[in-house]
Amino acid sequence: MKRWSLMLLSLMMVVAVVGVTGCQSKDDKLIVGTSADYEPFEYIAEDGSYTGFDIELMEEIAKRLDMEIEWQDIAFDGLIGSLQSDKIDAIIAAMSATPERAEQVDFTEPYFIGADAIIVAEGSGIPISRNEDMSGYRVGVQTGTIQEEWVDGNIDAEVLRYERAEQAIMDLRSGRIDIVAMDYYAADAFVKQGGVEVVLKTEFAGEHMSIAVKKGNTELRDSFDQVIDELEAEGFIEALALKYLSGGE
Amino acid sequence: MSAAVWRLLPYMLGGVGYTVLITLVALAVGFLIGTPIALARVYGNKVVQVFAWGYIIVMRGFPSLVLLFIAYYVLAAAVNLPPFLAGCAALGICSSAYQAEIFRGAITGISGGQMTAARALGMTRSQAIFSIVLPQALRDAIPGWSNEAAVVVKDSSLVYAVGLAELMRRAQQVNGTLHMPLLIFFVTGMIYFLLTFATNRLLGWVERKTHIPDIAEAR
Repeated sequence: MKRWSLMLLSLMMVVAVVGVTGCQSKDDKLIVGTSADYEPFEYIAEDGSYTGFDIELMEEIAKRLDMEIEWQDIAFDGLIGSLQSDKIDAIIAAMSATPERAEQVDFTEPYFIGADAIIVAEGSGIPISRNEDMSGYRVGVQTGTIQEEWVDGNIDAEVLRYERAEQAIMDLRSGRIDIVAMDYYAADAFVKQGGVEVVLKTEFAGEHMSIAVKKGNTELRDSFDQVIDELEAEGFIEALALKYLSGGE
Repeated sequence: MSAAVWRLLPYMLGGVGYTVLITLVALAVGFLIGTPIALARVYGNKVVQVFAWGYIIVMRGFPSLVLLFIAYYVLAAAVNLPPFLAGCAALGICSSAYQAEIFRGAITGISGGQMTAARALGMTRSQAIFSIVLPQALRDAIPGWSNEAAVVVKDSSLVYAVGLAELMRRAQQVNGTLHMPLLIFFVTGMIYFLLTFATNRLLGWVERKTHIPDIAEAR
């Protein structure tokens, strides 16, 4: 039976090691979750570091609150779950403060009001002059976005849902869908690549981008709100928007 | 554009380290749990056998991604596992069920006469298991285990879902910057192919090295 117990012992050691290293304390670091594949809001620079509008804004907020950020990159769908299970302290990911999400997390006041784009294949000639003109076409949207919500609630169209906006663009290029409705600024990179064009800059519900904190963490939210006010008054956010988001204009 | 590809390539390849590490730890966890489960299934008493059987059925029936979410989000109330450990635990437990079945098959493939002979020579039952049956069974299990290893290499890509920047997640990030999906995901696929190919070649080598000459006649 000796080797049996040896095996059991080694198993117990593995469990113990996993248990001990698992209980990391978070100290005074601010762990911020983002989803770094969404240019120009959060993406990776050529050296692999995180960059973008949201990243620079959050770094400035943390600096003014005398906090140090530890970035945690998580798939967009997993962000709210990570916040709720205390894996992270805050989310900044071009996230719109929708009522559904506000039931799960607490949002700061908006730091940026975005815009939406209706995109078609270049030369497709699909006439779109207002949002409702998308009716009757095959429309691609990213799941969980306010564009999806608007399309579902307001027009009669065949809606195709994608995990990421970029997949919708790929399908638009290959002709499987006629239209993509997505964030205006994030669309810029795809337009630059060619093959697709913004046929209408619009606003579905007003993308009120906010930072999310865990429900009930009003202390953190209030301190964020205060700094956002400051940065807005100083013109910092406007300058940041010019730096990262001007390409689409 | 192509200059940017070369600059971002090292970052993407940096993810391979995590992919390999997760795979190795998950396979080790799977082995450490899977072997006792297989032995319990074959040699245990009724209660132990039923437990081992149930463990295999349940863990094999759960998708790895579900186990991962449980390890990462649900267990967070008790133990707050970082993404790496949650990934190793989930993939390891999932793999342990498959490995247990691979080992069980190999153990039952060893003729019962060997156990009888070992006992007749005065060995205890556990001596016979660990010195006679298991060393042969583990050798026989290598081809099946090699299959499982390839599956775990590829399953390691699931861990991106809880935020570990391994190869798959880094490929997505790099694509988010470069917008060249065809090139990036083809390269990613090739890297996974090379990893599984190398794994299977290595295990093939182990199989030949540990082969007992003329074993077939002895059975």
